[in-house]
Amino acid sequence: MKKTHVALFLLLAALCSLPLFLPRFYTYIAAIVLLTALLATSLNLAIGYGGIYQFHHAVFYGIGAYGTALMLTRTPMPAALGLLVGPLVSALLSLVMGVICIRLSKLYFGMLQISLGSLVWATVYRWYSFTGGDDGIHGIPLPDRIATPDGAYYYTLAVTALCFFAMHRIVGSPFGKTLQGIRDNPVRSSAIGVHVKAHQLVALVIAGLFGGVAGSLFVVVNNSVFPDMMFWTFSLEVLIMCLLGGMYTFFGPLAGASILVLLRVFVSVYTQYWSLLLGAILTLVIIFLPDGVLGYAVRRFRPGEGRRA
Amino acid sequence: MLRVESVVKSFGGFKAVNGANLEVGAGEIVAVIGPNGAGKTTLFHLITGHLSPDSGRILFKDREIAGLPPHVLCRMGITRSFQVVNIFQRLTVFENVQIAVLSRERKTFRIFSAVQGMAAEEVHSILRNVGLYEQRDVESDLLSHGDQKVLEIAVALGGKPELLILDEPTAGMAPEETERCIRLIRKLSDEFGLTILFCEHDMGLVFEIAKRIMVMVRGGTVVQGSREEVRRNREVQDAYLGETGEC
Amino acid sequence: MGWLANLVSTGTLSQVLVGLSRTTILFIVSSGLTLILGVLRIPNVAHGSLYMLGAFSAYTVISLLGGGLSGFLAALVIAPMIVAAFGFVLERGFFSYLYDREHLMLLLLTFSFALIIGDLVKIVWGSEYRSVTVPEFFQGSAEIFGLPIPYYNLFLLLIGPFIAVFLWLVINRTKMGKIARAAAVDAEMVSAVGINVGWVFAFTFVLGCFLAGLGGALIAPMVNISLGMDHSLIMEAFLIVIMGGLGNIWGALLGSLIFGLTQSLGILIWPQFGIVFPYLAVVVVLFFRPKGLLSSTW
Repeated sequence: MKKTHVALFLLLAALCSLPLFLPRFYTYIAAIVLLTALLATSLNLAIGYGGIYQFHHAVFYGIGAYGTALMLTRTPMPAALGLLVGPLVSALLSLVMGVICIRLSKLYFGMLQISLGSLVWATVYRWYSFTGGDDGIHGIPLPDRIATPDGAYYYTLAVTALCFFAMHRIVGSPFGKTLQGIRDNPVRSSAIGVHVKAHQLVALVIAGLFGGVAGSLFVVVNNSVFPDMMFWTFSLEVLIMCLLGGMYTFFGPLAGASILVLLRVFVSVYTQYWSLLLGAILTLVIIFLPDGVLGYAVRRFRPGEGRRA
Repeated sequence: MLRVESVVKSFGGFKAVNGANLEVGAGEIVAVIGPNGAGKTTLFHLITGHLSPDSGRILFKDREIAGLPPHVLCRMGITRSFQVVNIFQRLTVFENVQIAVLSRERKTFRIFSAVQGMAAEEVHSILRNVGLYEQRDVESDLLSHGDQKVLEIAVALGGKPELLILDEPTAGMAPEETERCIRLIRKLSDEFGLTILFCEHDMGLVFEIAKRIMVMVRGGTVVQGSREEVRRNREVQDAYLGETGEC
Repeated sequence: MGWLANLVSTGTLSQVLVGLSRTTILFIVSSGLTLILGVLRIPNVAHGSLYMLGAFSAYTVISLLGGGLSGFLAALVIAPMIVAAFGFVLERGFFSYLYDREHLMLLLLTFSFALIIGDLVKIVWGSEYRSVTVPEFFQGSAEIFGLPIPYYNLFLLLIGPFIAVFLWLVINRTKMGKIARAAAVDAEMVSAVGINVGWVFAFTFVLGCFLAGLGGALIAPMVNISLGMDHSLIMEAFLIVIMGGLGNIWGALLGSLIFGLTQSLGILIWPQFGIVFPYLAVVVVLFFRPKGLLSSTW
């Protein structure tokens, strides 16, 4: 374990120093990578650790972002409150949607969530007067210290690191272990006294909360929000990040998100056929690396650990 | 301790359990036997809350429990093992039992403590009792079939049950493993005072350790009584023992 | 109460009829999706892309053969066949090896194909939108309830039931169809009886793709054929299938009707949020019948 701590510390140090020698654009990209990694990891709480078919996670990302954006643009409330309210709203939405959907299991859960999520998207898309409709909201005012690219980056880094730490604790807690037990064997879990649905609901709310945090970070980094943030195809993209990196490892989604965001940015310079490349990569990963990049690495280089999460 | 009265359960038109009766006294070892398809596993599912009976009563310590979900029954003191191995495949032996213990201690919602090593003492004690202590860090997927079945029992023990229900505990086991299992069941009853209800196809095992035996045929109870009573019962001989040639 | 007046006017009826003609296309596409879902257990996210491929292919066929009636009818046959052939390659080349994977994996695999097909269309046809004019035969409108209904919409309204009956015949009266139905319920049993389940799956998938392509070809004269038509359609098709019951063709029909009608009426009642009504309808249906309105094959 000590080696991992050192590695993480070095990584954190490296990330802190990035803005010192990277041009503005790349600092922006780095911030996007961080918050997307947070988003993917939050999804993985539900799907990798909980075994819940969370097919429309982007809704919580979008609502977190819109919540923050609306608070910042339409109310005189201080920014700190706005940044807090966004994630709280998405956690609340996660609770409501969770209560509705949790009666069903597996694929049906996913389908119902897609339906509810689409309803939310359609409403946001059309409510021009309130949410800006398909234009979204732009030019969101932020406090000076985090309005600059460097400021936004450091803020994102701090919040992301904090959230990762929190999520890691959660995964390694009794709740986390119980959740994994439910994932592997809900019947068995129930037979040892675990209220399966209650635990799954808590997992969903936590996933929604951190997804909402990622959304609020997007507001800080990008100064705008738009309905596509909660469109179904983006939910699938986030799922791909988890799959690509490895759904049963903690840092898998981080790896997947980093690869995907960076690839998209750099590939788009050379070609407009990014979707083709993504599709091809995904196909290869599904066929040859179903455990994801990190999952494969763990199995190859640390066979003793097996598939333990 | 446990009383099942005239319980009926149908699936579609098919009556899987048709008027079954069962009595288990505190501290006893009771076996349910019957030909394949007699409804033994269904009866167990009804007792442990995985299914709800259409009619009839199930009483645990004089409380009506029919239809209560499994996690509630576990808290009341009834745990079980399953016929087909039903463990947490991705977790280690230690972690499998640990969750059961943590669940009993109502610690499963704790988000901020580290689970590593929690309840180690109790888990180790259970593992030593069942003989799996050496393999506590092995991923349960990788155990032999016999060891997995023993792990099933260990997980059920994590809930500190009063009534332990075992569904074909030695199915698929080699002879030495079966011997080991028999000794374990005896130990659980003698040393720990557990009440044990199990069903089996291995007649030798049944007649060796069960104090009382209930015979099920076609979903109904034919007889429940001591070993001698069951052996002498004409109906049982016709329907069941006669076929296998065991007596 | 302007919306109420709106609702009961003859304008409503014409809107309803137009909505119903859109229903036909929704039905054709979602019946293909539900077939694939029911028999192969694959949530085919690429279905929308196949529909788009059908539309673009129809455009090319019509451009090559001229815009007359014969060209159009030829497109209605050739475009779906192109898509079906494509589907055949996908099924034999990829899916057939991966049926034992979890649903999630298959879903993501189809999503990757959706991405690939989307860009393939961009490569072959470019990013600008195309349009196909309605062939002369269908131009103009008929007077129904005192209001003009375009002939093409009437055409769609009429062939809808035809396609439904045709599908019913294929599923229930042909040998292949009956085997497919059996496979939907229990694929293992079917193969245990000695039938090559692989060909059943291939047949079903190809039929589903054909239907997607047909839907695309049929909508070609009515809309701008553009990139992005796959995204909006796949969402609607999935919701219809979920609403109707997974694997149930009549469910797809019922779902399409509900979807099309709530959309048309929704736009009448509350123009700004018209498109929200179908989504609301889906949520309401699923709340009371979580597995869909009609029985599913799962």
